[in-house]
Amino acid sequence: MTLSVQGLAVHSSVEEDCLIEGSGEKGWVTTNTTGEEDLRLERKTLVDELVFSMSSSPILSESGHQEPMDCLRANENCNQDQKCSQRFRIMRQCLAGKDRNTMLANKDCQVAMEVLQEMALFDCRCKRGMKKEMQCLQSYWSINIGMTEGEDFYEPSPYEPMTPHRQSDAFRLASIISGIHSGTGKGQPHCSDPSRTCNPCLDATKACNLNENCKRQRSNYISTCNRAQAQGQQPSQTQPQSQESCNRKRCHKALRQFFERIDTQYSYGLLFCSCKDQACAERRRQTIVPNCSYQDKNKPNCLQLRNNCRLDVHCRSRLADFHTNCQMTPHSVSSCLNDDYQACLASYTRLIGTDMTPNYIDSSHSNFTISPWCTCRGSGNQEEECEKFLQDFRENTCLRNAIQAFGYGSKLDPQPTSDSIKPDLVATANVPKTTMEPGEAPCIISSCANLHELGEDCYHLNRYICDNEVGTGKKLSKPKLK
Amino acid sequence: KRTKRAKKRGKPCSLRDVEVTISQLGLGYFSDETIVFHYCSGKCTANRKNYDLALAFMKSSRLLTRDQREKARHSPCCRPIAYEEDTSFLDNFSEFHTIHEISAKACGCV
Repeated sequence: MTLSVQGLAVHSSVEEDCLIEGSGEKGWVTTNTTGEEDLRLERKTLVDELVFSMSSSPILSESGHQEPMDCLRANENCNQDQKCSQRFRIMRQCLAGKDRNTMLANKDCQVAMEVLQEMALFDCRCKRGMKKEMQCLQSYWSINIGMTEGEDFYEPSPYEPMTPHRQSDAFRLASIISGIHSGTGKGQPHCSDPSRTCNPCLDATKACNLNENCKRQRSNYISTCNRAQAQGQQPSQTQPQSQESCNRKRCHKALRQFFERIDTQYSYGLLFCSCKDQACAERRRQTIVPNCSYQDKNKPNCLQLRNNCRLDVHCRSRLADFHTNCQMTPHSVSSCLNDDYQACLASYTRLIGTDMTPNYIDSSHSNFTISPWCTCRGSGNQEEECEKFLQDFRENTCLRNAIQAFGYGSKLDPQPTSDSIKPDLVATANVPKTTMEPGEAPCIISSCANLHELGEDCYHLNRYICDNEVGTGKKLSKPKLK
Repeated sequence: KRTKRAKKRGKPCSLRDVEVTISQLGLGYFSDETIVFHYCSGKCTANRKNYDLALAFMKSSRLLTRDQREKARHSPCCRPIAYEEDTSFLDNFSEFHTIHEISAKACGCV
């Protein structure tokens, strides 16, 4: 890096060439810069190739079961079928009434329901980020709204279940990318080197800034979310409304766009980096510009916030998806459903930019807590329900494990001293390790040991990650067995 | 012969880049975030217009006073003709900033 800066300095001294003729041809070509440029390009394409080849790896081909139809198409199909459309109209009228019980009591409604249940309409789902996602979700809720209103603590997710395969890819990719960015000794702060400051969140920011798309989108949401505040700081600008606060709606939209358009490698790196000091944790907390997107003047009651969220199609759908994918289960090692960390992280991330935007509540590095901007004060007789709702964020072991698995997984360095990236990476990612030597630590175990020092529980993280790391090579090509 | 001369002339005006931290920009921001700084560099001799040749000749034949000579450019400059969109970052004091027109997007001999 210093070399290139020198190159710059040379360049600026030559700039006078424009003014006066003949100050020489020396120093125009800064070989250092171009050499590094080439190297970086090479690396960039390598990463791109990896990302591409993995993201395009067969996801759909091996899933044996029938995919649910999307609600837009199901609706269309129903409209074309006279019998279905008629019953559907009846049912919607039934559902428009006060509650489910009166609806069920009505015989016409019952018949309509029975007929419709045999159609594809009830099983329809929407795809994340699909074309006309909004319309699809509206369609979904218009069918399901009366069925669950006020009855269920958790609503079923209107989205298709995620393919579990992606998980291993992304987690593996995370380690590969971090290996490239931090393991090659390119003047990078790296955590295994005690002489340098370790800030994985800063590394993640760098990775994003070096990717043109990520940098552009990140700058976009930061400037959108920070705009009003920046104007407020300048007294010369006479805009009375800018003094108040930022434009939260636009900020939320920009955030949603960022997380929709950016590869999860970059966005997860920013959101779920693992921290050992406060500066890092503060940067992690600041990722979503919480001043604008998260905090507010007063903290609403969580159930009130949930009600507001359920009035909005997007927020409601994403909250339901979060509850589906991040629900705790005692039946798995990871305490996530199907051990699917990726699904939980994805639905957590998709909550950002809604009314229910979650975030780290402080910049504590030893123990993080996540919560939406709400409290259970003033819950009245619903205190218990409110606490239960809040616990799914604050004390969610599935979510916690998923975040830790990503953070510490991304810190894994496949081959710390290797200069040649390609062959080593592929080799280390695929070769199963049967024996584990104390100093070697190919798995998450070393990080867990660190965690224990910090007094934090590891929730059996190690075993899961090890299995995962070891098995990915095979899992990629093996068809799903369910 | 020709390739030798071409080599000596150096690369034509084009976009180069360098990785720097925000602090290294010298703009008074303190942030360890790394960005890619794009800048313009290279020769513009191929882009000389008749204007440049005429002005050069007039300068050398002392048609212009010394003072005039020094301020008259007779060679195009390699400069950004477009800038990247805003660059936003978090500084070391947890404040966000946005810098306009900090990085070149395209270069030209103007």
